[in-house]
Parts: sequence; structure tokens; C-alpha cells
Amino acid sequence: MIDTLCKQAAGDGAAVACFYFDFAAQEEQSPAAVLGSVLKQVVGALGEIPERMVKAFRDREKVIGGQRLSLSEIVEFLQDISSSRCTFICIDALDECPAGHRMKLLDSLNQILQESQGARIFLTGRPHIRGEVEKHLAGRAATRSITPTKDDIIIFLRAKLREDTMPDAMDESLEEEIMKSIPETVSEM
Amino acid sequence: MSQPYISDNINSFNSINVWNNYTVADERSEILAWLSPLEPQIRHQDIRIRRVDEVGGWLLQTQEYRNWFDGMSGCEPDSSALFCYGGPGVGKTYLR
Repeated sequence: MIDTLCKQAAGDGAAVACFYFDFAAQEEQSPAAVLGSVLKQVVGALGEIPERMVKAFRDREKVIGGQRLSLSEIVEFLQDISSSRCTFICIDALDECPAGHRMKLLDSLNQILQESQGARIFLTGRPHIRGEVEKHLAGRAATRSITPTKDDIIIFLRAKLREDTMPDAMDESLEEEIMKSIPETVSEM
Repeated sequence: MSQPYISDNINSFNSINVWNNYTVADERSEILAWLSPLEPQIRHQDIRIRRVDEVGGWLLQTQEYRNWFDGMSGCEPDSSALFCYGGPGVGKTYLR
């Protein structure tokens, strides 16, 4: 998705940022760190860093430990940048973000969408968080169910069979059997 | 395992007090590192390597995706966000 967006949007000078949630990394994936990394990608795509951000950095640097931006400051920067420039933010596996963090993150995303025309947000997650996403994004979210199509399965199987490390164990009839039975079974699921 | 690409903004914060020798490039990468310690690009590269081309490409043709991408404001519902949901293992992460 990210690469597709980069290709489609590159000509228009749009910025594309991604984030992948992971159960195993819950501690470090706080809303500020997550949106901070989104901001990092968006700013990285700009020719130069906004002056206000340079100033914030120089001021904080004097504080021991180099205090980072707060969530609301990060949201403000993202609002600023995405109002003058199309900005795609893609976040994967939102359900792997702990519930408390998730509410904060969704509210922050909503604030960004509210303030800027150029922001586009793409989210993936399991079905149980759908209601929550719709509620927190205040009707701004369209939803779409994802299930692999039969063609997806066939393309995927072909690719995997080509990577087979024991090609001797495969013959034509087994391959035919695999290509026939797996897509059928999966599309019935 | 292949070496994930490392962006130029890690390993900073070392030369922080050397104001006089500061170059613009140094400060730029330090500011980027300061924005967040997380590096989602590394995971992105990993997914990119494992993804099978064309799988999930149908999503790009759906009305939901097009409305979202084109940003048709004024259409109902306003779709500046798109949430794609599905059970574990359906390929959400690997959508084309």
C-alpha cells in the first residue's frame, strides 16, 4: 500500500508515512512516539525542516535528556504541514495498539483530519475495533472489509510454489491439486 | 537475513554540545531522530520483501479506495480516512 501510494502520489509532491503496530512492542509504541515517527517521515520528505521545529529542537536540547515534543505539539505540526501538502498516513494493525493508547491516537488523527484538507488516513485492523474507529473519527472514516479473493490466493500460491525449496517432491498432478483445492476451500471460508 | 536499510537519522545525539562545529546536515538528522525513536521504515522494508506483487490489488479499484485517494470532499460520507478490516491472516498488512 505504501509503495503504491508513493508511486501514485510522488508526482504531486505528496508525503507518505507509515506505521506498523506490534503487540510485542506496546511499551514503546505510545501515541506520541507513533505520531512522532509519522511526523519524522513527513518532515524527512520536505526539502527543509520547518523553522518552528528547529527552534523547538534547540530550546528542548538544553533541557537534560533533550525533552521530546508532546502529543499535542506533534499533532499541530502534522496539521500545519498537511494543510499545505497532501499527506498520506498509513497505520497497520491498529488493534495491536493497547485500547487506552488507541483512543488517544484516534482522537489525534481526528484532530488532524478536522484541521487540514490535505490529510488522508489509511488504517487496518481486526473487525472488533471498527465501531471505535468510526466513532472516534466522527464519521470521517469509510470502511471496507478485506478478504482474499480467489485470484489473490492463486497468485500467492503460484509465487510460493516457485519458491519451493524441494521441487523434486512436486509433480504436475500435485501442483494441479494444490491450485484447485486451496483456492476453493479458502473462498468458501 | 538481509540487512534492513538504516536511515541516516539514527546514531545521533553524540555531538550535541559542539555548537561551533555544527553543520546543517548534522542538525537535520538530529532533529529527525529527536522527533521519535521509532523506525517504522525498517518494518516496512521487511514487509516489502515478503509481499507478493498483485495480491490485494483489487482494493485499488474499489469505490471506497478511489473516494479516499481522490479526496472527494462533499461526498457522503466524508472519506478522508479509510479503515480496512479483516480477521487475522487475511493479508491486511500486505495489501498492494
